[in-house]
Amino acid sequence: MSARAIWRPTAWEAMLVVLIFAAAAWSATLSPYYLQIDQLLYSTRNFVIPGLLAFGLMVVVTTGEIDISVASTLAVASVALSKFAAVGAPIAVAALLAVALAATLGALNGFFVARLGLPSLAVTLGTMGAYRGLAFIIGGGMGYTSFNDPYLYVGTELWFGVVPASLILFAVVAAGVGFLMHKTTFGRRCFAVGMNKTAAWISGVNVDRLKITAYALAGVLAGVAGLVWIGQYGSARGDNADGMILFVVTAVVLGGVDINGGRGTVLGVVLALLLLGTLRNGMGLANIAGPTQTVVFGALLLIGVLRPFVAGLAQRWRTPPSDPFSRRDDTEQTSESNSITNNITRRSAL
Amino acid sequence: MKIHTKSLAALSFGVALGLLASASADAKDSGFKLMMTPKWTGFPYFEAAGKGGKAAADELGDTFVYAGADHADVSLQVETLENFIAQKPDGILLAAIDLNAVAPVLTKARKSGIVVTTFDADAATQARDIFVNQMSYEQAAKTMLDCALLDAPDGGEIAFVAASPTSPNHMAHIRIMTELTKTNPKYEKFKVVDTQFAGDDDAKSYDVAVNLMQAHPNLKVIISSSAVSAPAAARAIVATGKAGKVFATGFALPSAIKSYLDDGSEKAFALWNPWELGYVATYATHLILAGKLKVKPGETFTAGKAGTYTVGKDGEIVYGKPMIFTKDTVDKAGF
Repeated sequence: MSARAIWRPTAWEAMLVVLIFAAAAWSATLSPYYLQIDQLLYSTRNFVIPGLLAFGLMVVVTTGEIDISVASTLAVASVALSKFAAVGAPIAVAALLAVALAATLGALNGFFVARLGLPSLAVTLGTMGAYRGLAFIIGGGMGYTSFNDPYLYVGTELWFGVVPASLILFAVVAAGVGFLMHKTTFGRRCFAVGMNKTAAWISGVNVDRLKITAYALAGVLAGVAGLVWIGQYGSARGDNADGMILFVVTAVVLGGVDINGGRGTVLGVVLALLLLGTLRNGMGLANIAGPTQTVVFGALLLIGVLRPFVAGLAQRWRTPPSDPFSRRDDTEQTSESNSITNNITRRSAL
Repeated sequence: MKIHTKSLAALSFGVALGLLASASADAKDSGFKLMMTPKWTGFPYFEAAGKGGKAAADELGDTFVYAGADHADVSLQVETLENFIAQKPDGILLAAIDLNAVAPVLTKARKSGIVVTTFDADAATQARDIFVNQMSYEQAAKTMLDCALLDAPDGGEIAFVAASPTSPNHMAHIRIMTELTKTNPKYEKFKVVDTQFAGDDDAKSYDVAVNLMQAHPNLKVIISSSAVSAPAAARAIVATGKAGKVFATGFALPSAIKSYLDDGSEKAFALWNPWELGYVATYATHLILAGKLKVKPGETFTAGKAGTYTVGKDGEIVYGKPMIFTKDTVDKAGF
């Protein structure tokens, strides 16, 4: 169990695990249909698509930027896929082209943000609309639904009759992004840039190229999410995944990724997705009214935003009352004087 | 040992209950579990349909659940339907947001023996058992054009606002209305100039209406099959000072358009009774489950106090009772 020695959950990750179990227990009391293995596994399909978008967003956010255009990029990828399907392209070719297109759109975001130095919220707010429009133009007035089975595989296939293929894909992508962010130079540089852009630049990181790569990666994952969308719903329309971005941002923020960049873990995002998925599944099975569910998710987003504050309180409880502040300073304060290497090798306390 | 006695007692109690139940009614004739999801919850139109469904289920001795997301999002609707299936109902009723995107999950439901009924907005034909249509598309198109005639007796330019290019009923209405303006002498005085999409969203419908009036200075009537878009268009007309020059009509809840009819800025809207639509859909679903209704063209059935209906082609049942609201009749609508 060498992995166990390396893996040390942050306080926030531990808290999310507790919350997931609490949510599952609550769901089990809400509905007698919750605790069934096929039901549980099948329900995971519902967070795979926002989950893939969340991983891409997480990479961008760690560099200190944001990308709210990913759901629109998904729509471009899905309608592009429908065009390739219409001319009879094999899925491998179509998927590659659609993902490449999505990556280009992502890189374009990165270009605007990094090279032109524009604020990322404004840029991606603009491209959110522009890419959505592009999806409607490519998709045309009518939706496309005549996909053949290979196109639908990833969204419909159940391995061993119970495990959705999309869940496997989700796990592979999670592991891949986790490796990239926590085990490679690229990941360390992302955190370094998010923590202190200038210091990272001085120490030789090509900040512009890094950011463009991060945005392109978010585009790639949005493209992959587009493939899953087609597989799951078999319907390519310009409005695909419209309105999904709120759930995606909630997952990233609730997952403990610092919205100002520099901190966060892929595991945290995975756990946040599991928590949101569990709650949605449980409340859905209990037929809880839609508005009530929206209130619950809004509250969770709020908890995510208030996380540093909440965690600070938790920290105070845990430390002896005689010495409440020195410990807190140690974990909470983002000191500019900390060396970058110190910041990036240390896992966030939260 | 104690546990055994307890469970034995529980068992015998259950058996007694079962006997009681089977004594009071034929086991196959009631006690079905019916679950309904609208396009989205919280909207008075769908709430009324839900209440109608509940009333039918209560009459028939079925259990009835009404649930769904609070905005029209097809991935959430699919999720709701998956959650329904996990609860092993006997029948599912829905108003489909995207006819194709719900097809896979509905097909899965039908494979597990669940009777699937669509109402208000259909799903792909092979994915459901019956579709209880509020009106035939033709009837709906004529009703809306009749309202437009009340607004603009001399005809003129008309524009349509639909939810989306893939919302089946809206698009069919628009297609037939466009045909009627070319072929039917009664409606030939109208000229179709535009079709826009507003996603059943109030703010978007308002903007679309404003844009339509700017783009077409001679526009006379904005027509929408969406009970969200039609009142929003009426509001946009009043707000931009075009009352009396441009009119909005189409399908709308009486409560949403009463003030415009009362102050004279609008003349006529139409609808049907959503309560009764939900009632008939639930009744039909029950009768199929009880084996009393075969889904074959020409089969007839009586839906309690809501009258007699006939199954048409492709399992379509037309409810077909349009109501036109004017200043004088809007108060009598009763919903």
